[in-house]
Amino acid sequence: MIRLRLRYSAIYSLLALFLWSANSFASPVISGISTNEINIDHKFLGAQILLFGAKGDAGNIVIAVRGPKKNFLVTRKQKLLGVWYNGERVKFKDAYSFYSLFSTFGPQDPLDSELSEMELGNDNLKFSASGDIGEKAKNEFQIQLIDQMEKNSLYSAGTQRIDFLDETLFKVMLNFPKNIARGTYTVEIYLIHEGSVLSFQSIPIYVNQVGMSAKIFDFAHEESFFYGLIAVALALVVGWLANYLFARFLGK
Amino acid sequence: MQIYLPIAEIPVNVILILMLGLAAGFLAGMFGIGGGFIATPLLMFIGIPPAIAVSTSTNQIISASISGLLAQLRKGNVDIKMGWFLVVGGFLGSTIGVSIFKILQKTGHIDIVIPLVYVIFLGSISVTMLIETIRTLAEKKYGITWEKKKNSRFEKLLKKIEQLPWQVYFPKSDITVSIFVPIVISIGIGILVALMGVGGGFLMIPAMIYILRMPSSIVVGTSLFQIVFIASNATFLQAVTNHTVDIVLAFLMIISSAIGAQFGTRVGYRVDADSMRLVLSLLLFAVCVKMLFVLFAAPPSLYIIEVLK
Repeated sequence: MIRLRLRYSAIYSLLALFLWSANSFASPVISGISTNEINIDHKFLGAQILLFGAKGDAGNIVIAVRGPKKNFLVTRKQKLLGVWYNGERVKFKDAYSFYSLFSTFGPQDPLDSELSEMELGNDNLKFSASGDIGEKAKNEFQIQLIDQMEKNSLYSAGTQRIDFLDETLFKVMLNFPKNIARGTYTVEIYLIHEGSVLSFQSIPIYVNQVGMSAKIFDFAHEESFFYGLIAVALALVVGWLANYLFARFLGK
Repeated sequence: MQIYLPIAEIPVNVILILMLGLAAGFLAGMFGIGGGFIATPLLMFIGIPPAIAVSTSTNQIISASISGLLAQLRKGNVDIKMGWFLVVGGFLGSTIGVSIFKILQKTGHIDIVIPLVYVIFLGSISVTMLIETIRTLAEKKYGITWEKKKNSRFEKLLKKIEQLPWQVYFPKSDITVSIFVPIVISIGIGILVALMGVGGGFLMIPAMIYILRMPSSIVVGTSLFQIVFIASNATFLQAVTNHTVDIVLAFLMIISSAIGAQFGTRVGYRVDADSMRLVLSLLLFAVCVKMLFVLFAAPPSLYIIEVLK
């Protein structure tokens, strides 16, 4: 219920923003997306969301899509007498589970220090490793994490282009692969001119897991006591029933 | 037909799982064993993560054992007093086992320890069985006899056991034994139940016959009696502490292996015991060899990324 209410309030605020900006022409960039919601079921193969917008002022547009923050564990496999086992492990706390960047900056234009502070760009993402590990080890595991995330299409390598239909109208196709984490994603749209942010807009996308298996998963983790009892009871009842039915209909 | 396993978080073919359960149940029924030793490795071979294969198997074992126990209870073949002592030890053992499991899962070694323990146990059991069976067959066919080694160390151990305190009389089995013996044995087996996803009958039954000296008509029923409780405890604790029991997978396995077991039992009556032992030992050896491949398999990449829940 809370999530639902949140979702509606987000849509309303977006609508209000639209009306307000259309009336006053105060916002140099406005945009919207085709849907605020992605539902993952067992057949989910990924989703595409269309982002469109209009730009009223001079400047460059940067769009960042950030997934919910998660803790990641990176393990280096090691070999002992031919057996692969887990060697050194580094835990990264609160790293983005999804990150995608679009911009009108050309490949030559340096995304300056301000962008780095806002964590715009793969190279500017900040990772914090937990535990006492050296800078060298941290870098090694961080590179591997980013590399794997890129391979899984969860981080997009470098910056992607923004399509302009004319001087002001633009659109971008946001691609979400099948292995995205559930949670709240944010789409951030910046208008940057001469190193300063002229306009900033943030749109949420809710990624939900639906269907029976998601419910069972949640129940097993949140109510593990009852889940355990049910698993045991189910086995006892079915075992007893099988014994009864076979004895009755097949004989011993 | 694909189904998504909610806890294993992978899609599997329902028909494949049902066939696997049928086969495991059939073999279990035919050889008169619990089947965990066959079902758990088979689940791993089709790609179920070892930790989930083990915990889900303990769930299925409850079902298979209660079915067998009810039949044994009807025949009056259960020493319930002895059973309760075994349950006490088994509860302790399986709780320790689940704790070890948790530590291994935390350090990330569980997926390698499970196949390793399997290789050790399957390897030693199948080879011992194979040698024994070949000897018996040779004796029967060609009249070759081997000198029976007197196992003096084992005799000495039994002597020591007789001197232990807290001797208790068990009327059903007509034996007197220190309560430490069944408790210590079942602690050890309880640990294996949690770590391997087996009922442990393959160790419990010989222990009852050779160490506790219970009459052989009672051992199967009494073993099943304690397995029901210990597998229940292990399943519950795995679900609560490690979240590794997949109820959908367990349900499919329970149904299919119950059916398989019925047919297996019927076939088992017609095959003679010695050739059956030979086939079983060869089968366990084959599973052991396949498990070696799991152990030596190269990981998909040198670095593995996991999202922590």
